[in-house]
Amino acid sequence: MAMPVSGVPTETPATQAPELGSARALGRIGRAVRLNRKATIGAVLLAIFILIALFPGVIAHDSPTQDAYAPQLGISTAHLLGTNHYGQDLFAQLVYGTRNVLIIAFVVGLATTTIAVLIGVAAAYLGGLADSSLNVVTDVLLVIPLFPLLIVIAAYAHGGTTLVLIAAITLTSWSYTARQLRSQALTLRNRDFLEAARVRGERPLYIILVELIPTMTSLLVAAFLTNALYAVLFASSLQFIGLGDPNTVSWGTTLYWAQNNAALQTGEPLWAIAPGFLIAALGAAFALLNYAFDEIGNPALRPVRKVRKKKGNEERAGK
Amino acid sequence: MRRLTRYGVIVAAGMIAAGCTAGSQSSSSPGSGSSNKAAGNSSLTISNEAGQLWSCGFNPLNPTFTMLSYGFVYEPLVYVNPLQQGKTTPMLASSYKWGAGNKTLTFTIRSGVKWSDGTPMTANDVAYTFNLIKKNSALDLTGAWSVLSSVTASGDTVTMNFSKVAVPYFYYIADQVPIVPEHVFSKISNPVTDPVKAPVGTGPFTMSKCTPQNITYKANPNYWQPGLPKVKTIQYPAYTSNNTANDDLANGSAQWGGQYIPGIKTFYTAKSPDFKYWFPPTVNVTLIPNLTDPQLKNVKVRQAISYAINRTQVSNTGESGYEPPANQTGIVTPTFSSSLNQSALSGWGNGYDPAKAKSLLAQAGYHMSGGVMTNAAGQKLAFTVNNIGDYSDWVASMQVIQQNLAAVGIKLTPHNLSNPDHVSDLNFGKFQLAFYDQQTFGPSAYYELNNWLNSANTAPVGKQAATNYERYSNPKTDALLDQYSTTTSASEQQSILNQIQQVMVNDVPIIPVIEAVDWFQYDTGTFSGWPTPGNSYAQPSPYAYPDNEQVLLRLTPK
Amino acid sequence: MRYALRRLGFFVVTLWIALTLNFLLPRLMPGNPALAMMSKFHGELSPKALNALEILFGVNTKESLLSQYFGYLHQILTGNFGTSLSQYPASVSSVIGSAIWWTLGLVGIATFLAFVLGTGLGIVSAWRRGSKLDSVVPPTFVIVSAIPYFWIAMVLVLIFGLTLHWFPSQGGYYVTTDTPGLNFTFFQDVLNHAILPAVSLLIATIGTWILIMRNTMITTLAEDYVRMARAKGLPNRRIMLDYAARNAILPNLTGFAMSLGFVVSGAILIEYVFNYPGVGYMLLQAVSSEDYPLMQGLFLLITVAVLFAILVADVLTALLDPRTRTAS
Repeated sequence: MAMPVSGVPTETPATQAPELGSARALGRIGRAVRLNRKATIGAVLLAIFILIALFPGVIAHDSPTQDAYAPQLGISTAHLLGTNHYGQDLFAQLVYGTRNVLIIAFVVGLATTTIAVLIGVAAAYLGGLADSSLNVVTDVLLVIPLFPLLIVIAAYAHGGTTLVLIAAITLTSWSYTARQLRSQALTLRNRDFLEAARVRGERPLYIILVELIPTMTSLLVAAFLTNALYAVLFASSLQFIGLGDPNTVSWGTTLYWAQNNAALQTGEPLWAIAPGFLIAALGAAFALLNYAFDEIGNPALRPVRKVRKKKGNEERAGK
Repeated sequence: MRRLTRYGVIVAAGMIAAGCTAGSQSSSSPGSGSSNKAAGNSSLTISNEAGQLWSCGFNPLNPTFTMLSYGFVYEPLVYVNPLQQGKTTPMLASSYKWGAGNKTLTFTIRSGVKWSDGTPMTANDVAYTFNLIKKNSALDLTGAWSVLSSVTASGDTVTMNFSKVAVPYFYYIADQVPIVPEHVFSKISNPVTDPVKAPVGTGPFTMSKCTPQNITYKANPNYWQPGLPKVKTIQYPAYTSNNTANDDLANGSAQWGGQYIPGIKTFYTAKSPDFKYWFPPTVNVTLIPNLTDPQLKNVKVRQAISYAINRTQVSNTGESGYEPPANQTGIVTPTFSSSLNQSALSGWGNGYDPAKAKSLLAQAGYHMSGGVMTNAAGQKLAFTVNNIGDYSDWVASMQVIQQNLAAVGIKLTPHNLSNPDHVSDLNFGKFQLAFYDQQTFGPSAYYELNNWLNSANTAPVGKQAATNYERYSNPKTDALLDQYSTTTSASEQQSILNQIQQVMVNDVPIIPVIEAVDWFQYDTGTFSGWPTPGNSYAQPSPYAYPDNEQVLLRLTPK
Repeated sequence: MRYALRRLGFFVVTLWIALTLNFLLPRLMPGNPALAMMSKFHGELSPKALNALEILFGVNTKESLLSQYFGYLHQILTGNFGTSLSQYPASVSSVIGSAIWWTLGLVGIATFLAFVLGTGLGIVSAWRRGSKLDSVVPPTFVIVSAIPYFWIAMVLVLIFGLTLHWFPSQGGYYVTTDTPGLNFTFFQDVLNHAILPAVSLLIATIGTWILIMRNTMITTLAEDYVRMARAKGLPNRRIMLDYAARNAILPNLTGFAMSLGFVVSGAILIEYVFNYPGVGYMLLQAVSSEDYPLMQGLFLLITVAVLFAILVADVLTALLDPRTRTAS
């Protein structure tokens, strides 16, 4: 678990220019990513991980689970990261484990953001009693410490399969995004284009889905990235302390086995350090992309380039 | 999660004192300031992780506290050595004798023994102890009163009358019951829950100081064996983490360990030529088939499973070689090797024979279909196997078994449960296959095999079975087991064991895979007299009672 | 005043929800998980203790859910959290009492240091925007803050504990040689053992402080009054600290409160890696030994502590910053 940077409010919704139409917004995002160096690094890293998850057999030629080799071999060309205590190829384990980690990240990221959208925007748009009650629920979940809650849930469930982990994390982590989205939706609620839709006689659901949400695209992407990051960290941490399913192939479970076999003290440090490093790398990818999005959304945060062309750059990058 | 030692978890030594301000953790003391390493020093430190702080209770009759007082402060009537086929050493009883038909057992109580408060110990204390247990059935952990009818004292003898002949119960009665003082316990209102903070016993040590973090025992100056013990002080810290306890062994601040140490060669023995370990095997860890399952009913299927498992690989990979491979006769080797039925064993043939497994399955009418053996009725050999998720070495072993069985077309899906859930499912028969061992151990293979095979220990699926989880029931086997319990003749006992081994090989009611062991590490640089494979005078773990007393009496500071 | 009362009200509501969650969770899980646990200890508990546990977990009671609920609330509010099953026969409160000082010390000091150092670094970084410092600091700490806490702990254990042997890599103090108390060797020993865990927590959490502070500073620096101060010719340091930082730090307090949940989570994992005998380590021990009463008690304690800290931070913010009082 780490504290994701953009997890803390830099709430200046007023400075976020409303974006018109999701397609153009995505196109603008794409360009911004290319131009912002941090975002590029993050995106490339993420792409590498996705490729590894999609085609693990191409990269690693050994089975991740068969205890097929002599234990505790060092690094060699046959075993890029050596073998662990059980004679399993560590490199293969980590490569195949990528899939589980990314599935958790993307599913939770999507599910959490979806729930947050539904609750946050609905609260903002409906107002009144619905708003207040949804608010209370959101705020409560916001302050209850999530990791201990997840530990308690997983403990009662006697350790979770990937599905249980995904469900538990999704159901508890949506509140921060919901709050963010509600703030944003509130500022937009009385804009003219929405008023126009209302006057046209469109139903509230249509207005919310078709008119309001597409304007918050960059915020949604940022939220997705943050939630994906949380998911990776929470899930790996739970697996690390033994509350996951020890038979799954995943980075967190590899760490669990390493810890159980006192890997650091018995001269097999790679077994513990390598999976942690990968989690950090994936986390960094999400965080960098997110950080860049923060800058895109909040122009005041953009790097100040002390060159003559400063004004021109700012104009091109997403106005 | 930490590997729970057998005694450590059943006899859950849960302790803590209320109101202490600092938490407990021992940690790697780098030798400086530790007085234990000085040459000729007679202070011994034990490293046995119990997972919690001490609550400073020492009531030996309450399983929460037995491990910390029995063997140190309290003693048995007769010490029975399970590692030497039940060789006896008289302790509080100077002699014993079976009566006619083995229906009475008379102990002559040693004279001149004093309790640590100076009061003489007599036969009345012995009778009192047993009758106290009879009165409070919660204390009858050995089940002695299921076979006893009365215990009376007269002069310096104690006579025990049996309601039914049960020679094997000698081990429980003589070795597993700590003798407590009548003049102290008769004043306790609730002997079941009273912690007994100031224990009075006959043993070689007295409890001198107890904090939540550490217990200090000092040699009993009035101990009835003159000149003993040579160890003058014992420190017993409360460890809550396996790694910390292991660290203390590795840096020498603890000398007597009962620990599971991963990678023991790098972690421990490499640190000093004096650091040694020995893991004597005790009981089988078995794959338990539910004999009511329609496919597992077929003995050929069970035989095939047994032949398909590469026990050496399970032992080496899953258990780091600490727990040796078992065999289908159910005899734990080398502990009970003298009881092995060689012809049954050789009739069974090679332990690992996947070709034979496949041919057995073919004979049973199975053929490969989509990687899984299927029979004519379309039933597939695909089973769930229950295991304890916390025991990471068992989970690792199960992974190997899974791979072995997959190679002959049998598909296993592990269900990793918590300890209580696993035991509950076993008790009620809610499983297809399960992985577990017996929780009690005795001075011959009979004890374990009786637990597994006696139909008195089983119950139909849905009702609670005692120890016969697989629901095995065969009147011929029952007759053999009952016959064993009526005789004291070693040759008759061996003949019965031979027949039982044949049953194990023919019927395959359970499938032993590896052998559970006692964990034991020792430092020969500070003390001599440790038990070794060549001199296995007692179970060597600090948590094994009352064997720990035997070890303590033989240790000499260097 | 009204603001403080509103926040207090929110605190009470959240506490009530946490208590209710604690009550409902074991009852919602398929096959009451407490059942097996209780049968393990059935013979050893006094009837009173057994009854208390039954109320906590809803086992064997013939009462309706609602009356169970009120019985539970009554028990909790009178301070009876039940008996710990793994540390039998100690009560849950006494077990927690022994662990809490370790966590308070570790987390308190590490968080305070992280806050002070991080905020300072954030201020400087924002002030010197565009400089080398500013182009290095944010990306570095963005990455650092995404690293899992336990990995930082493991790396430190490996390097400073096991390879260089500078510090002990396990535990709170040496049990066999020290007695806890007001003596110098004990304090020295505790400090020695606390250094690596504290540094792990510091490294892991400092990034967020730096970045929050930097971001809010930057926004503040764009404000008119700062420009006015510069126009007036005030010395740079004065503007940076007295004008900008002072106003920028206030939203930080709210951020601090919100991130407290993460600090707690991180502390749990760091205590686990170091076997440090605090509340987090105890929670994980309780989980692995299925000591549900202890686990519940610890969860409540952690929640209350976090809530309390948030309440304090909110009230402080309200006291120091008039804008929040009127804004909501």
